[in-house]
Amino acid sequence: MKAGGLGLAAAPALAACGRGFGGGGDDDSGDGVTLNMVWWGDATRAEKTQAALDLFKERHEGVEIEVEYQDSGPYQDKLATRFAAGDPPDLMAMRMDSLREYADRDALLDLNEYAGDLDLSGLSDNAATIAEVGDRVYGVPAGLNTVGFVIRTDFAEQYGVPIPDGDTWGWDDLAAFAKAITDASGGEVYGTGFEAQTLANILVFTRQRGEDFFTEDDRLGVTAATVQAWFELVNGMRDEGGFPPAGFFENIGGSADQSYVAQGKIASQIIPTNNFLGYNEACGGTLVLLRMPGETQGARRGQSIDCPHLWSVASASKHPEEALQLLDFLLNDAEASLATGTTRGVPANADVAEEIKPSLEPDDQAATDFLIALQGEDLPRSLLYPPGGSAVFDFLDALAVEVEFGRVSPADAAAQFIEQAEGAIAG
Amino acid sequence: MSTETAVMPEADVPPAPEHQRLSAGRRRGRRARKDRAGYLFLLPWFIGMLFTVVPFFASLYLAFTDYNLLNPPKWIGLENFTAMFRDPVLVKSLKVTFVYTFVSVPLSLAAALGVAMILNKGIRALPVYRAVFYLPSLLGASVAVVLLWRYVFGLDGIVNALLGWFGAPAIAWTSDPDYALTTLIILHVWTFGSPMVIFLAGLRQIPVMYYEAAAVDGASRWRRFRSITLPLLSPIIFFNLIQSLIASFQTFTQGFVMNDGGGGPANSTLFYNLYLYQQGFNQFHMGYASAMAWTLLVIIAAFTALTFFSAKYWVNYDN
Repeated sequence: MKAGGLGLAAAPALAACGRGFGGGGDDDSGDGVTLNMVWWGDATRAEKTQAALDLFKERHEGVEIEVEYQDSGPYQDKLATRFAAGDPPDLMAMRMDSLREYADRDALLDLNEYAGDLDLSGLSDNAATIAEVGDRVYGVPAGLNTVGFVIRTDFAEQYGVPIPDGDTWGWDDLAAFAKAITDASGGEVYGTGFEAQTLANILVFTRQRGEDFFTEDDRLGVTAATVQAWFELVNGMRDEGGFPPAGFFENIGGSADQSYVAQGKIASQIIPTNNFLGYNEACGGTLVLLRMPGETQGARRGQSIDCPHLWSVASASKHPEEALQLLDFLLNDAEASLATGTTRGVPANADVAEEIKPSLEPDDQAATDFLIALQGEDLPRSLLYPPGGSAVFDFLDALAVEVEFGRVSPADAAAQFIEQAEGAIAG
Repeated sequence: MSTETAVMPEADVPPAPEHQRLSAGRRRGRRARKDRAGYLFLLPWFIGMLFTVVPFFASLYLAFTDYNLLNPPKWIGLENFTAMFRDPVLVKSLKVTFVYTFVSVPLSLAAALGVAMILNKGIRALPVYRAVFYLPSLLGASVAVVLLWRYVFGLDGIVNALLGWFGAPAIAWTSDPDYALTTLIILHVWTFGSPMVIFLAGLRQIPVMYYEAAAVDGASRWRRFRSITLPLLSPIIFFNLIQSLIASFQTFTQGFVMNDGGGGPANSTLFYNLYLYQQGFNQFHMGYASAMAWTLLVIIAAFTALTFFSAKYWVNYDN
């Protein structure tokens, strides 16, 4: 009984003794190659992905693909365990914030060395080098997305509050809009609501102030003043009533149907653009997609082109050629993208994105146009998290809640955050 | 009455549960044929032990290394252990675990004993009640119940609706750092079923004649409880206390599920074991996590030893 906690910690060591956890690549008989591909997502994504894989198998006889998918939370742990056990998958979904944890430890294939097998010429420079470390590339975007603001037009109409111009609005406009909705609804509906601790949100704000959250030389770039201003921005809206009170956001699950905006408790929120279709369906088609506030007022642009996740190949893969063949197919083949749709964002290959656009649902087309328009503009590039960067989220999360409940002032929280985050990155 | 027979034997050996099972030595004197049968019965345990012993010693080794899961472990001596003293989050997680243990274990044992005494009054349909009260402890640490708990204690949940009837303001039970741990303590207290069943079995062992004699002498109800029930039940209280302490120090699921793996809000439900898991599997600090695991073992051993030591002052073994 007492050993329970220990068994947990030591499980990877046991697995390293030779007992794998399933996983593929053991079957080398004849032409038969079995690729093991892992990713996270829901049943819809699974169905769409499988459709693309079936197409691939039709064209490449003798290649079997063993797919494993699960929820995003446990995915991280499982992937780490697979690597520790010496049984990494061939092709895998990789989070932007953990790429360096694997890449810096030589666990991933440098795709530049396989330029002949994987064609990256259809990608924008930003997309092709999004996972570049030094002169090596350890992943390609499974799709492109960014964050955007969705507003429920039905509430705006009902309460007679005009929707700001999404290309030019500022954070003040958001605050004014939010307050007006809350006031007009008598507190039934809060004007806006989002998590101050979500990195994607504060990243935009940080860039608008002329800083990078993490710098290119792996340091913390964000200043205490910016973190404080961010907390104060949210606190200000909360004090005015436009933003829900402390404790309002509970863990209700991540799906669009369960979201507060779909429940009609808030009138606007930030979403990843590839989820626009799902959110709009959940809101009965009443949503409009805006850019983030503050894009024209800040020191520079804040939005960047990101990806929901990367595809990476394990350096220990026994079948790197086949894995890259599959990756190339998913990336550059229009039929593959027709099958997968925009479940992982807009196809990274611009020609493919244009080619499949007419066949997409109107909401998906809107999200695609939104992203393509942004892609044509001069935006700061999305930088990778330094190793240890994923701990930074935990610090921000805890401190944002302390601020939310007024237990710590924004200034103190900002100072603590900088100290903790610098420690985690250096350590 | 099948549940009763399943429970009774367990209640018969309360004072020395763990080490008696370990020492097969007592049987050594008997005939060889009997020995073989004994070992045969132990076989599943031996096989299971292999799966425990290997990771056990592997983690002991890893505790002295820098191991990131991807590269081979590097020996760094005591560095992991010294780093623990400088880790404010670890201190926070210890605090959470201690508060949780020292509040919820006494409360849940008191609830278990209270309900056991009520059920011991010879109620009709006892097995039904016993099962009903036992059920939560089968489910309490399960993901489904913690999720259910999230709704019961949600802003629009039943608890706030009840409070609303009395004019009390709604409380963010699960998302307010001042209340989140309290909510989990209530969940723990609610799962008093398994000590209750053991208490119930223990209560039935106390001869009725003691109570009759005391009643004849005019002893009050409280007096009978203090002078008969508590002393005669003390070995069973002791057993339940040890079991609950050890389990409580290792709490994981509640904190993991309540806030999607985070131990939030603001680390207020970051149990030690949850932080250990985050360090090992999310932050790639498996060496540090192993060191944490061994430290927890020492903490649990210390509290268990303390409880055993205190036993001679309050546990009554002679009939």
